[in-house]
Amino acid sequence: MLTKLTGGTIYDPAKGIAGQQHDIYIQDGRIVNPPTADQLIDKEYNLQGKVVMSGAIDMHTHIGGGKGNIARMLMPEDHRADPVARTHICRSGCGHAMPSTFVTGYRYAEMGYTSCFEPAILPINARQAHMEMADIPIVDKGGYVMLGSDDYLLRMLTAKKDQQAINDYVAWTIQAAKAIGVKVVNPGGINAFKFNQRKLDLDEQNNHYGVTPREILHVLATAVKAIGVSHPLHVHGCNLGVPGNMHTTLDTIQGIAGLPMHLTHIQFHSYGTEGDFKFSSGAAQIAEAINKNKNITIDVGQVLFGQTVTASGDNMRQHANHKHANPNKWVTMDIECDAGCGVVPFKYKDQNFVNALQWAIGLETFLLVDDPWRIFLTTDHPNGAPFTSYPHLIRLLMDRSFRNDMLATLHPEAQKMTTLASIEREYSLNEIAIMTRAGAAKLIGLKDRGGLSAGNWADITVYTEHSNRELMFTKPDYVFKDGTLVVLDGKVVGTPWGTTHTIKPNYDASVEKELNNYFDRYLTMKLGNFKISDDELTEDGRGRITVQPLAGDLT
Amino acid sequence: MSALTFTLKIRPNQRVDMSPLVCQHLHECEPTEIAAMPLRCGKQTVRVDELFSISGTDSADIIIKNSFDKLDFIGKDLAFGSITVEGDAGAYLGLSMTAGNIIVDGNTGLYAGAEMKKGYLEINGNTGDFLGGALPGNKMGMKGGLILVKGNAGDRVGDHLRRGMILIEGNTGDYCGSRMIAGTIAVMGTTGRHVGYAMRRGTLLLWNTPYISASFNDCGTHTLAFLPIMFKAFASLNSRFAEPATAFNRVQRYAGDMAEMGRGEILVKH
Repeated sequence: MLTKLTGGTIYDPAKGIAGQQHDIYIQDGRIVNPPTADQLIDKEYNLQGKVVMSGAIDMHTHIGGGKGNIARMLMPEDHRADPVARTHICRSGCGHAMPSTFVTGYRYAEMGYTSCFEPAILPINARQAHMEMADIPIVDKGGYVMLGSDDYLLRMLTAKKDQQAINDYVAWTIQAAKAIGVKVVNPGGINAFKFNQRKLDLDEQNNHYGVTPREILHVLATAVKAIGVSHPLHVHGCNLGVPGNMHTTLDTIQGIAGLPMHLTHIQFHSYGTEGDFKFSSGAAQIAEAINKNKNITIDVGQVLFGQTVTASGDNMRQHANHKHANPNKWVTMDIECDAGCGVVPFKYKDQNFVNALQWAIGLETFLLVDDPWRIFLTTDHPNGAPFTSYPHLIRLLMDRSFRNDMLATLHPEAQKMTTLASIEREYSLNEIAIMTRAGAAKLIGLKDRGGLSAGNWADITVYTEHSNRELMFTKPDYVFKDGTLVVLDGKVVGTPWGTTHTIKPNYDASVEKELNNYFDRYLTMKLGNFKISDDELTEDGRGRITVQPLAGDLT
Repeated sequence: MSALTFTLKIRPNQRVDMSPLVCQHLHECEPTEIAAMPLRCGKQTVRVDELFSISGTDSADIIIKNSFDKLDFIGKDLAFGSITVEGDAGAYLGLSMTAGNIIVDGNTGLYAGAEMKKGYLEINGNTGDFLGGALPGNKMGMKGGLILVKGNAGDRVGDHLRRGMILIEGNTGDYCGSRMIAGTIAVMGTTGRHVGYAMRRGTLLLWNTPYISASFNDCGTHTLAFLPIMFKAFASLNSRFAEPATAFNRVQRYAGDMAEMGRGEILVKH
């Protein structure tokens, strides 16, 4: 079947197209070159005056894994308040802060998103995370495997194993957990928490292993680069949420010594200690460092006001934050030898000084980082806000007067502590397309995604131009997933299943010998059961696996 | 004006969500509009007049006749007026009500008066578990108002109770007053096991000595001046609690639950 999208205004930063009109042809799920005159068009959509972008990619959103289910159990009132009835094609569920799997897929698609990446897959829980994501319809999925606080790696570092051995271990874990990247959360800190340390600075030693976060970051960033993972090491740094942590963040950027590194939800890591309340914005210095260091990419983790639930592997910081839990209930737990997790409900309030300033710091970061190819639009769903607030965030970025109107309603002391009102920058549609499409695809290393030129998979979103960008991005006219129409006028009309993006970096097979002994001695499952096979993701007939090329292979 | 009366015509096999039929929703509605309102019944949606015949017009005075135990959420979020149920009521009777009166002739299901904020709830028969309790996962149960039960109550009476009074003429099941934050529960009959389990503050007033857990401390007998004053406040109730002979002021006091905050008390008539 040949489909023609006629006359839309195209934003395709991958090919440098920003607002030109041309036609797009879709055949067999892919975008194709214009057909010869004698080929019959089966279906034509008239997109005169519409804005056309590729499907959006959320490169950091917590949609699978154990912590999500803990958050769901912890927040029944949140689900009761947002029931979703079934329709003739959609399953029932519930929404808001941590929606059910099916509703996650529907609501992402309804905003024009076609791919989502779970940033914190614990190796030991990877099977559950993939099974859960297998229940998220429409969108493509993928995940970053979490290392850095795992007993095995820390033992290797204590034993001064060489980099090659660590490379093999990292590559083996990526394959075993079916991941596409590597994340490190509070490097070594999750583990240090188990040895009664309640904070861990970049150069502070783990009581038990004598390893510092700086060493962990360095060996992992080196490993990720060496084994050819396109996505740079995904770093949730030390001291999340601690006033003054901007210095830790700046130190982390310097300490990585030019290796590629992605700093995630950097808003939570950009705090100073100035002012009457000893809490201030470090966004300007952080943004300056990012503008200078081209090896660094970031996503923001914007805070937006309202009820949400924070779910993180960082049990150390979540434990410290539990006194802010609203409603007052929280969970911190240990997860085998691998890591831990903490779930704390939060209600961000615009009349709270800290929350209001967090909001401003996130926006300052967005507006002060020059290169949209190196900054990504996230709320760290659900930690800063549920993903359904993205259109609102886009409007804040694209509409200065709206942003300043919002700012004027916040806690007055917070208004004094931010330079936001004086920042004139407004994001253009093309910059939004870079941040949420082409840039994200490039960052993760997705072949044939995030672009609209011939050869790409036909993930396409069509919006009606509207001066209120929130309305525009809330309700796309059409969303195509692999060429199938999935959303019409903001409502789901088709529910195909996306693929799971993975990579297969090489490793020396002898790595399993020592791991086998370790699994038998310390873990609750055998090594053979730990490794996820392709069949487990595909045998139900709806999941697929796409193996993305390694960094060296990308052309 | 005569009371707005809903008379159940058929007993559906599936449970019915009655939450739309409260005074504040029906206020200023034409009879035809009320008749056409949608009700959830199992996985179907039905019109009000498919289940009920409707008479009367006073929406501040609602009567539900022929009621049975599958009519859930009667009086949910009730903000004013009164609802009289002739027959039994299902689960979640008076859930989160903020004012007004609800009177039930017969028995009710689970979660009667759960998370109610204010108002008066009278159950003339028996009631199920979690009377005046909190919905699963929520941190606070009933926050105010008065619940009177003339029959027996199930387990977990006043679970997470925050404020308000629960008066029970009959017996209760296990875990009476579990996880109470504050408030008062009075039980004339017997109570089950684990009375006051994990209570923080608040008062359990009992006519019969329960099995007291080891995490409560016996504080001896006391003559408490507040008890006669409290009984006097019950004088207007249509209940045995209102009879002058009921009042007493001498009690055995147990403080606990020491496994929690320990500032609650179980007072047993001496």
